[in-house]
Amino acid sequence: MSDNKKLKQDELFRVVEYSADAAERIGYSNYSYWRSVWQNFLKNKPAVIMGTVFIFLVIFSFIALAIGKYQYSELLSDQNQSFLGPSAEYWFGTDNLGRDYWCQVWYAAQISIKLSLVVAIGEAIIGVAIGCLWGYVRWLDRPLTELYNVINNIPTIIYMMLVALMVGQGFGIMATAMIATGWLIMARNVRNLVLMYRDREYNLASRCLGTPVWRVLVKNIFPYLISVVILRLALSIPGTIALESTLSYLGLGMGVETPSLGLLLRNARNFFLDYPHLLIFPAVIVSMITISFYLMGNAVSDAADPRNHV
Amino acid sequence: MKRKATRILALLLTAMLVLTACGNNGGSQNTPPADSSNNGDTGSGTPAPAPSNGGEPLKDLITWESTGTRELEGFFILNTEKSADLNVLCNAYSPLLEIDNYGKLNPAVAKDWSTQDGGKTWHFELRDDVTWVDVNGNEKAKCTAQDWVTAMEWILNYEKNGANNTSMLVTLVEGAQEYYDYTKNLAETNPGAAKALTTENNPEFDKVGIKAPDDYTLDYTCVSNCPYFDTLCTSAALYPVSQAEIDEKGVDNMIGMSNETMWYNGPYTITSYIMNNEKVLTKNPSYWDKDCTLFDTVTIVMIDDGTKDDQLYQTGEVHNCELNEATLKTITDNPSNEYYNQLVETRLRKFSYQYQLNFAKRNPDGSMDTNWNTAVANEAFRKSLYYGLDLTTTWARANRINPLSLENLCFTMQGLLYFSDGTEYTQRVIEKLENIAPAGGDTPRRFNADLALQYKEQAMKELEGKVTFPVQIDYYIQSGSSTALDGATILKENFERTLGSDYVQLHICEYVTSVTQEVVNPKLQSFQGNGWGADYGDVENFLDQIVYGDDSAYYAMKYTNINELTDPDTIALFEEFTRLEREAKNTFDDMDARYEKFAEAEAFLLNHALSIPSNYENAWQLTQINDYSKMYALYGCQTYTYKNWETSTVPYTAEDYARFVEEYNANAS
Amino acid sequence: MFKYTVKRLLQSLLTVLIVVSIVFVLMRCLPTDYFFTDEQQIKFSDEQKHDILQAAGLLDPIPTQLFRFYRGLLHMDFGESRRIRTGVGVWEIVADKFTVSMRMGVTAMAISLAVGVVLGVLQARQKDRLMDHIGTVYTVFINSVPTLVSYSLVLVFGARVLGLPSLYSNRNPGQSSILPIACLALTSIAHYALWTRRYMVDESTKDYIKLARIKGMSNQSIMVKHVLKNAFVPLAQYIPASLLLTLAGSLLVERFFSVPGMGTLMTEAIQRYDTNVVQGCVFLYAGLGVVGVFLGDVLMMILDPRIKLAGGGETR
Repeated sequence: MSDNKKLKQDELFRVVEYSADAAERIGYSNYSYWRSVWQNFLKNKPAVIMGTVFIFLVIFSFIALAIGKYQYSELLSDQNQSFLGPSAEYWFGTDNLGRDYWCQVWYAAQISIKLSLVVAIGEAIIGVAIGCLWGYVRWLDRPLTELYNVINNIPTIIYMMLVALMVGQGFGIMATAMIATGWLIMARNVRNLVLMYRDREYNLASRCLGTPVWRVLVKNIFPYLISVVILRLALSIPGTIALESTLSYLGLGMGVETPSLGLLLRNARNFFLDYPHLLIFPAVIVSMITISFYLMGNAVSDAADPRNHV
Repeated sequence: MKRKATRILALLLTAMLVLTACGNNGGSQNTPPADSSNNGDTGSGTPAPAPSNGGEPLKDLITWESTGTRELEGFFILNTEKSADLNVLCNAYSPLLEIDNYGKLNPAVAKDWSTQDGGKTWHFELRDDVTWVDVNGNEKAKCTAQDWVTAMEWILNYEKNGANNTSMLVTLVEGAQEYYDYTKNLAETNPGAAKALTTENNPEFDKVGIKAPDDYTLDYTCVSNCPYFDTLCTSAALYPVSQAEIDEKGVDNMIGMSNETMWYNGPYTITSYIMNNEKVLTKNPSYWDKDCTLFDTVTIVMIDDGTKDDQLYQTGEVHNCELNEATLKTITDNPSNEYYNQLVETRLRKFSYQYQLNFAKRNPDGSMDTNWNTAVANEAFRKSLYYGLDLTTTWARANRINPLSLENLCFTMQGLLYFSDGTEYTQRVIEKLENIAPAGGDTPRRFNADLALQYKEQAMKELEGKVTFPVQIDYYIQSGSSTALDGATILKENFERTLGSDYVQLHICEYVTSVTQEVVNPKLQSFQGNGWGADYGDVENFLDQIVYGDDSAYYAMKYTNINELTDPDTIALFEEFTRLEREAKNTFDDMDARYEKFAEAEAFLLNHALSIPSNYENAWQLTQINDYSKMYALYGCQTYTYKNWETSTVPYTAEDYARFVEEYNANAS
Repeated sequence: MFKYTVKRLLQSLLTVLIVVSIVFVLMRCLPTDYFFTDEQQIKFSDEQKHDILQAAGLLDPIPTQLFRFYRGLLHMDFGESRRIRTGVGVWEIVADKFTVSMRMGVTAMAISLAVGVVLGVLQARQKDRLMDHIGTVYTVFINSVPTLVSYSLVLVFGARVLGLPSLYSNRNPGQSSILPIACLALTSIAHYALWTRRYMVDESTKDYIKLARIKGMSNQSIMVKHVLKNAFVPLAQYIPASLLLTLAGSLLVERFFSVPGMGTLMTEAIQRYDTNVVQGCVFLYAGLGVVGVFLGDVLMMILDPRIKLAGGGETR
């Protein structure tokens, strides 16, 4: 202690010569937005675990089909084998026609995951693009709000029926039709945020400096949207699975060639009291997908908020 | 904080109780207590005979219907042709004639009926003790012959009834078509005028072939000889309505009548109707048939499809259930299951199913599918399908225990008609069919793999160079229906198993909403499986649907498209069939001769595989009702009349049912 | 304020009108086959079908039909149902049904609001402790398990274990309402708990709360007087809309328990081509939705005087 006091000032500080090189080094921060997001995300243990589970699920669905004893396309019915419980021969048991349930479940899982991802991404792209314009361009506000109110109030079933009737059924059509209504919610969320940030001083300044609209949107506003967009994306995935199963129920699904988890769940409904395995396997997979996206969505959304970065 | 939360909770609970209590007195005034010991012996009816299995007869029956397809839509019987409506309304109105449990006609309001001239004119003598009552059983008016005349005017009046229930009347009753056209023109030129018309002072209506010379006599005149006209008296088109009721409500309010405003003359009044929930029928004390057995009340609960009825039966909330495949399997797999001995089969439903081949199939782009059309015009190809389809697994979908009982070999429904010596009509047809194994075997009677493979070889030889094999067969199902998809999957296997996928390939296609607009009108299907239920008691009603060169033949116009045929051999076959059928139709003096000729025509159709009979329908059930005591109507609307039903508080067992069948068959002949 | 209300209501009316007109035209694009049952489809001749459709006015040109529809709309007359209850006025059918749905929906909502908010408050108070985890597991479970499955569980548990009636019945509305109400409440409890927790946690980190703590206020009164009060405001916005929409019923729950409510009405009407009923339903739902949002804004304004509507349009 006393020694420190005795230290002379010139021993503590000394004058160095200006070096541009060193200044650069100090001024440099190794902060990268996406790396911080990633690091923050990794801190959320449940989300990381569920994320891993989800990726494992996707990979496993391919493995499962490869190692299964039956091929989906070659399934044959056998009414003596119907409603069997899980066994060494039929790992997930058999359905009401006596067909192997294992390959049906995994095949359907692949399709459901694919559909929900495609729809989520499609919704995000269209929703963000339109939402930005809706919020930023003033004269677009009224017509788009009106459009939103109108589309939001038209029952989905009428419109899905027309689509199915006029265009037909199939994976692509289903995905497009779902995106065509799904972007609305995303767009509205984005629009509300854009409205909040639009008139902040720095944006005003940018505009005064003549920055083009797209640049203001992409560089100044978009980063603030990421967390909300990701949360919405994550939540839309269970929504898609649920909507798809309702639509299959009404005969507006993807067609015979493309089974989905929603469809399996619906079919199992008549049998689950006696043969619960028909309900449990698809339900567990749906729940796993939903939970992982729910947790991951929350975690990524927190991590993506720049205010949470150090 | 906690105290407050508790207080809020308590408040909310109170509010909830109040709310539900409010529901208590909403719309349940007329509901009688569901207490089976309640002996409401006020009205008509003899006490039911004690059931033979040791139980007591049920006084208050509770049964079910499924919400999706079977909810009542209207209470006015003349305005509806939907089975969902008629299954209930047949209990509220009385017809001229009734069906018994053997499917034979019995007197009802008409105590006597006859024709003197081979069915050209019909004479009915009516009872004089039938009355119209309101929902509470108060007498409103006498039910007289005039009520049938009023009903005829109502149905044929386009502005009043909008073409409902007209189809049979305009073809059969003299002057009906003319009166219908007259009101339709009137409605277009002078809206409202036709509504004002009644049976009185109506010279146009006087030309229609229905007359009531006095209150209890009714005469019909047909367009041409119609030996089966009396069987029509069981259909909704020949039910009565009272002019006094029309006057009371006003013409505009008739169709929208409710259970509380309508007039009844049937065995029950509908005392409660809650859409998609339940209906309660209560015994009508003024019902004319004092000797019949009726329930005090019948409650029909509406359920979502699926396993609900099985669950409700097991918890004792309904008195019968049709088992779905999962529950059935659980019960049959385990002989110690409490329901194992109670499994019984329902009777066959009234539909006879065939696969109707499309002789002028189109591709989705509208061009002719020449590959299929050429193949199907070849008799050997058709016969290979006819003999090569082993449908056992298809039948097992509906009836896994006894699939062969669903095998259909004919075009006409089994049990529709009998020769005067008691021979059943379809038995006669089967005698005339080629290569049918005798009854009682444990394989399908028509399926014959060797014969089918012979025909396959013959067809492949004859069609070589004209048709590319495998022949693509397009089969359309309703999208989203798991039952339809399961059925189609099995059917595909059945087509390809014996005949080989090098020969035929079934392609499962889907339609979204409307089979007519998406499949039938553009003629895309290779074949269409369809069931026909009789409208009246004659073979003509079945065979008329597939005759050549007739616009009103339903199958010919919609499914088989035979009038577009170009292959001369096939045309010749259909022409010959049509000639045979017409000949039978014009025989109306000797009914046996008529049926014999029909059997000849039908056998000709099937022996050339111009249509492929597929199946009947039934199900397995647990029940406290003896199905063999119910009215067994293969035509008309009376199947669900809850009259003279034998029921028991103790569930029936398989042995009970075996005995019922035995007694039934013994009494039948 | 008055001027704003009038303007806003007129705008909403316009929206509803556009919606109903679009639905009207869309419905007319669907095949008329729906108008007939499968059996009728087979038994009726083409001519008879044509005559029936014509008698129902469905074959007139669309502008004629649309004009007729608007004329009826002027005195709130949607005409008569054709396939749900032949010849009965649309309002009459709807009135019969919505009381049932509403009674059930309001009860379920009251329960779920009470339970959900309490659960949310408990979770927020015990953040990251046992109660919070229990609540989170519940919300995640409810949100992730398909409704079909959770309803089935309720049904099996309620009917088999507790012996409750599995069908709604007017003879016994109290007991037979328990299972459907439980199903309805199950999901909304999760919803309310989730958002109450979220808003309360957000609110409790604010400066004025810190100040209150420093002032030495008890934790309990901070939670109730400050945090809950403020956290409730954004939640309250949605209450009128959800309250009004309870009378729309729930398709799945009502089918499951045979509740004679509104839930299945519209789908059934669409599937049976009962255009008048469809229009009536769409009009009702759209109208309720719009009014609900408006009332939500008003309620929020009452709860939080800082919020002003007339200035910036609707709240966001």
